[in-house]
Amino acid sequence: MLATTLQALVSGLAIGGVYALIALSFSITFTTTRTLNFAQGEFIGVGAFLGVTVLYALSSGGEGGSFAALAPAASEGFRYPAAALAVGAALGTLGLLLFLAAIRPFAGKPGMSWVMSTIGFGIILQSLGLAVWGPAPVNMPSPFGDDVLRLGGAGVRPQEVAVLVVAVLLMAGLDFVMRRTRLGKAMRAVAYDPNVAALMGINVTAIMLGAFALSSALAGVGGVLVAPIASASLFMGMGIALKAFSGAILGGLDNPRGCIFGGFALGLLESGVALWQAQWREIAVFLLIILVLAIRPNGLFGRRALDKV
Amino acid sequence: MRHALLAIMVAGLAALAAGVVTNDFYLRILFNIGIYFLCASGMNVLLGYAGQKSLGQAGLFAAGAYGAALLTTSAWDLGPWTALVLSTAIAALCGVLIAAPSLRVRGPSLAMVTLAFGIVVEKVVTEAEVFGGAMGIYAIKPLTLGGEPLDMRQWVWLVIALGLGLHLLLRNLLTGRYGRAFLSLQADEIAAGAVGVPVHRTKVLAFVIAAATCGLAGALVAQQNQYINSDFINFNLSIFILLLVLFGGAGSLAGPVLGAVTLTVVSALVARWAWIEHFVQGALLLFALYVMPKGLAGVLDGLFRARRGEAPRRAEAPSADARLPVRAGAARDTPLLQAEALNKAYGGVRPARDVSARLTLGHIHALIGPNGAGKSTLINMLSGVVRPDSGRILFQGQPLGRAAPHAICDRGIARTFQNLRLFRDLSVRDNVLLGQHARMRNGFLSSLLGLPRAWREERAAEARVSEILRFLGLSALADQPAGALPYGLQRRVELARALATEPYLLLLDEPAAGLNPQETAELGKLLLRIRDQGITILLVEHHMDLVMAISDHVIVLDYGATIAEGAPAAVQADPRVMAAYLGTDDAAAEEASAEPELAVRA
Repeated sequence: MLATTLQALVSGLAIGGVYALIALSFSITFTTTRTLNFAQGEFIGVGAFLGVTVLYALSSGGEGGSFAALAPAASEGFRYPAAALAVGAALGTLGLLLFLAAIRPFAGKPGMSWVMSTIGFGIILQSLGLAVWGPAPVNMPSPFGDDVLRLGGAGVRPQEVAVLVVAVLLMAGLDFVMRRTRLGKAMRAVAYDPNVAALMGINVTAIMLGAFALSSALAGVGGVLVAPIASASLFMGMGIALKAFSGAILGGLDNPRGCIFGGFALGLLESGVALWQAQWREIAVFLLIILVLAIRPNGLFGRRALDKV
Repeated sequence: MRHALLAIMVAGLAALAAGVVTNDFYLRILFNIGIYFLCASGMNVLLGYAGQKSLGQAGLFAAGAYGAALLTTSAWDLGPWTALVLSTAIAALCGVLIAAPSLRVRGPSLAMVTLAFGIVVEKVVTEAEVFGGAMGIYAIKPLTLGGEPLDMRQWVWLVIALGLGLHLLLRNLLTGRYGRAFLSLQADEIAAGAVGVPVHRTKVLAFVIAAATCGLAGALVAQQNQYINSDFINFNLSIFILLLVLFGGAGSLAGPVLGAVTLTVVSALVARWAWIEHFVQGALLLFALYVMPKGLAGVLDGLFRARRGEAPRRAEAPSADARLPVRAGAARDTPLLQAEALNKAYGGVRPARDVSARLTLGHIHALIGPNGAGKSTLINMLSGVVRPDSGRILFQGQPLGRAAPHAICDRGIARTFQNLRLFRDLSVRDNVLLGQHARMRNGFLSSLLGLPRAWREERAAEARVSEILRFLGLSALADQPAGALPYGLQRRVELARALATEPYLLLLDEPAAGLNPQETAELGKLLLRIRDQGITILLVEHHMDLVMAISDHVIVLDYGATIAEGAPAAVQADPRVMAAYLGTDDAAAEEASAEPELAVRA
């Protein structure tokens, strides 16, 4: 019993780390532009496949295996971190494109057309992914192998620990940047009021572009992190993004630390429910979110938005 | 009438085409057009009129489809026609479910919640055993005619007939009282509530209409295929339903049919390659958003509409003989409104501290005070937009309690806003007609069916509205979008809209803000004429000459508390008032010691 609980705890924290990372990525664009990427799920899926592709290209010397079945050796050594970096850079560039094509024409105008335009962008991205990689899921080997670690009787996969560690490091770094640097101060100023920030000499467009690049890069890295646990699929991102968004709502979209908390809470909740009834975990999670929204529409740590009349 | 004839002709042509075509593939395309038209018509009410984005319509489609499947195959073993009706009702109930969160959250969170709803339904029908998962449910009873199952051609005729019926019903609904109410939600919910539109109920209604039509479409698909499985229900279906409306033209009566025909045909052309079909959908979505924000209907409208001449930009002189519609029977023995010990705090800022006020029938009351004195907060509390923390408000001797803004408006308190809240895209006439919303007595069914009662009420409301427009000199501007008018005229339209609710008490929040001296003088005359029609006015204003010229009674607020009240001349002479406005040596010292946050503008 203790062992299974511990196991659930670790895998909950690992998947929660990914949710927290994506939740933070929502928060970054929402606080700076009042918009967010409804295609974040597709970005995660494409990130995972790009990761597989990079690993395949790096290991095409022979020991790597085929694209659909990469050998464990393919992600050894520098290759996995290199793939994560490459994916982060590629998706970051895609994020710039997303901002220019789908956000900027519609942000701040009534009707929230950016919801639809980011969805359209995602559909196009996913269909291109389908054309290149096909619909079948692909395995990505973990750089730490698949040998199960024994931790107080519980079996823990090394990748889960790695995901948790990387996610926490990334988030700690971002938190530092947001709170302690000039760049972070500029971002918070834009979040508070873009017009005033512009009057203070802050390049608002550059900040917004940066926010989308960062947010999309996080989605890509999230995909690379989670792919060895599940398997890379173009359809895997939707569920992750939805739960990450739920985590963000839980913690309050405009509060980055709240989002991180919400992501972890959701991961733990999900693995807790899975202990009891695996197939109901999604439903339990979303019911909880609707309940939270009904009681506190701005999340547990969100600011109350006052509509001035 | 012309619209109805045109719709019948289009449907007739489609039915004729179905009669001539022999190829089963083409019949199926016609059937799909009909199905998607049903989905799009309801979605148009929700998205195009009420302005609510739902990304989970596939879940409601599923409710109808699986409803029909289970009702005809399981132990219930109902007849196919009964099952069709019941499963539509089930989907409508699910619509209430999906509407519930929309009452609390808005914006991106609401879009995400509806998306999650669609995904949850998808998971449920995939996982739960009773729905058969990917295996699906077989042997769903098809609809029958005289004991025989319908053939493909009859199915097409059926969906055409249903589509025509739905279109005509929704047209009745959307061109009248309910259509305007939906549009007002899209434009500004706070203003909608303030003019008497029950915001929550109307929003739920829009969700239910969209749910019922999607459910009907789902049930028809299940019964026609006699089979349903979880592959039918996916996120792409939700997006496709949205795309139908956006591409065809959201908020246009012709939009759904244009969208359904174009997109079904395009999808059929590229359906051989799954990824191309998705690519095309994504591309069309972006294309519609960039190039034709009003959809195909908007493009066609632009082509056929002759260029209009220069629209008038000036109001004419108000007609002296026009009379405002007023409600009879204001009680004369009690004060019209009595506020007792109202308190309101936002954190450390307290814009109302034990404020009491007494308004007398037939008077013009003015509420003055420096910036941040709590004047707007008092107006907001009286109109139900803001709830007081404590204290009570009696209107005609009855407590307002926790009544919603629309209910307060219905009781006879109307208001305007300091920062204009007009429905900018609607015409001046529609803005003012929305003020009549709560005064009209035609219910949902009579509006939907276009019964004579609905028609009579609409005519009567139009007559009253033109009288109000004449009263204010706005008749020539009636057909212009309210947002296109100059600022001063927009203020007057807002006044017209408030008067259309036939109030006993009219709350005006800085009606002269931004007006030039001449306009301000005209406003003063207008307000006196309004009072002479028997309407009591409470006016927040900074133009002291206006206040002193027209008020019967003045209340002065400072830092959330009443510091003086009485006749204009008496108030003017009051030393405390002078201190509040100009400062004295004492007051300056007091102000310096006061907490700085109290100076924040409320």
